[in-house]
Amino acid sequence: MIGCGWGLVYGVLNSLSNIMLLPSAPFISIRPQIALPMAVGILLNPPAGFVVGFIGNMIGDGISGFGIWKFWNWHLANGLMGFIPGLIRYFGIVKIGTVREFGILQMSVVLASGIAVAFAVLLDVCFLHHMTFPSSFPSWILPAFLTDAVNGFVLVPVILLAFRKILLTLEIRTICLVTILLLLAVFSTAVSITLSILDDLVSQEAVIENFYIAGIVSVFLLVVGFLASVVFVRRFTDPVIRMSRASQEVESGHYDLSLLDPVSSRNDELGRLSRVLQKMAKTVQERERSLRQQVQDLQIKIDRKRKDEEVREIVETDYFRELKKKAKAFRSS
Amino acid sequence: MAKIIAIHSFRGGTGKSNTTANLACLLAREGYRVGMVDTDIQSPGIHVLFDLDTNDIPYALNDYLWGKCDIARAAYDVTKTLGADATGRLFLVPSSIRAGDIARVLHYGYDVTLLKEGYRQLIRQLPLDYLFIDTHPGINEETLMSIATTDVLLIILRPDQQDYQGTAVTVEVSRQLEVPEMYIVLNKVPVRVDREALAAKAVSAYDCPVVGVLPHDEDMLDLGSSGIFSLRYPDHIISREMRRIVQRLTP
Ligand SMILES: Nc1ncnc2c1ncn2[C@@H]1O[C@H](COP(=O)(O)OP(=O)(O)O)[C@@H](O)[C@H]1O
Ligand SMILES: [Mg+2]
Repeated sequence: MIGCGWGLVYGVLNSLSNIMLLPSAPFISIRPQIALPMAVGILLNPPAGFVVGFIGNMIGDGISGFGIWKFWNWHLANGLMGFIPGLIRYFGIVKIGTVREFGILQMSVVLASGIAVAFAVLLDVCFLHHMTFPSSFPSWILPAFLTDAVNGFVLVPVILLAFRKILLTLEIRTICLVTILLLLAVFSTAVSITLSILDDLVSQEAVIENFYIAGIVSVFLLVVGFLASVVFVRRFTDPVIRMSRASQEVESGHYDLSLLDPVSSRNDELGRLSRVLQKMAKTVQERERSLRQQVQDLQIKIDRKRKDEEVREIVETDYFRELKKKAKAFRSS
Repeated sequence: MAKIIAIHSFRGGTGKSNTTANLACLLAREGYRVGMVDTDIQSPGIHVLFDLDTNDIPYALNDYLWGKCDIARAAYDVTKTLGADATGRLFLVPSSIRAGDIARVLHYGYDVTLLKEGYRQLIRQLPLDYLFIDTHPGINEETLMSIATTDVLLIILRPDQQDYQGTAVTVEVSRQLEVPEMYIVLNKVPVRVDREALAAKAVSAYDCPVVGVLPHDEDMLDLGSSGIFSLRYPDHIISREMRRIVQRLTP
């Protein structure tokens, strides 16, 4: 149900954006709303993402006058784009709080776009024959992949942030910053190429060709750059994350901070901080142990029942009764 | 009138002989005539603190109990231990350390009423102001006899569960024997322990005054069982505690 509702929203957005066609790609529009089925797949579950993508694409085509079933293979592809990112929950990703989880999320988005477009093209070539493979590449296949991958890459994290699916940890903040820098670089290239259309001296075809070569390079750089930053950010934030985890350990009463050993061996400020942390934990542990010992030291436990039994064994002998009678006389003599 | 002071503990090695010797010496230095009887016949010990070689002496407590001599004959003057400026006198009735004598007691036992009679005679013949009885640990017929006879009972314990439990039995039994004065001394208390807090705990656990809390001390160990600690180290915390106990025992 929710899936259908969001499907309707997606469909209306699709029909609107069908007006904003990519340069030279007559059937492919700039579609920021592709992030919608992807986010639903992640937030709810893969089938919900599929429904949003499938129905949305159908409605969009209907409103735009393409006919509901003409591009049914693209309905399926949009469904897949909602379905695939949703699968990350089966890799144990419930909340996104580390660079690793963020990396998997972004790769799932790019992968979903690639698989879905390839799937749609395959169905078309086999059954529908609207396109033929090599000639359709610049006008259909590549633009579809580029717009979906880049839009998903940029917008899915934004939606997930809004829904608190992504936690703003130090790691995530850092990787987001690096991602934004990457995107700025990529977009500045795209803009400069697009503007060159205005130049009369350059032929339209050359610009478009440049545009798609730049697109391929951009997505490639985006993915490689992103993966490299994942590694870089993890190395950068690891000491701080370890220290944060260490202080949680101490808070819950575990004083073995050997997880800080790699940080403590560093020669910089972080290393010093880590060594102080380890030393402090040791001191706290000692103090707690001695405190516990003190409480233990001051405990005088007496088993009353056992004591009464032992006393009874002594005082109920004939010897004791006799002694008790005589004791008074002893002392006064 | 003379006062009999019995020192008892639930287990051996608690510090009975040491405490007895120190308290007796401190009292004798104040000018009193003080006697000590080592009734721990099975494992005698106090004579070592006074350099008394029981192989050389003709009589011991054992000989009195077996009717071989008067008890006063087994009492030895050890006043010289106190140093030149002592004004009182100090006597010790040791137990025999000869294996045969110890075996004989274990095998045949003895008439424990003789103990009580012996204390009376010592007090009258020497004569004495104070008589200390260093007892055998635990509760048996002879320690019960000493408890029934004594005016003051000093129970020594170490801070561990076994002693806590055993002391509870001793305190209760001694109450039934209507001991006029009963005090607790905690000995060998680890230095890390808050001694005042421990004393307060013991007072409420036994409903009995705690007159001394002595820390476990390495110097005491070095001295071993030869020498009187409070004479050798008069400023030590253990010596101060001993003097505090003496104040409770004197009028
Ligand atoms: N407060 C103390 N600190 C250290 N050692 C002690 C202390 N009190 C007694 N000791 C040692 O413990 C041992 C047993 O003492 P002792 O007086 O012979 O006990 P008991 O007569 O109860 O068997 C002796 O070696 C003595 O030096
Ligand atoms: Mg002894």
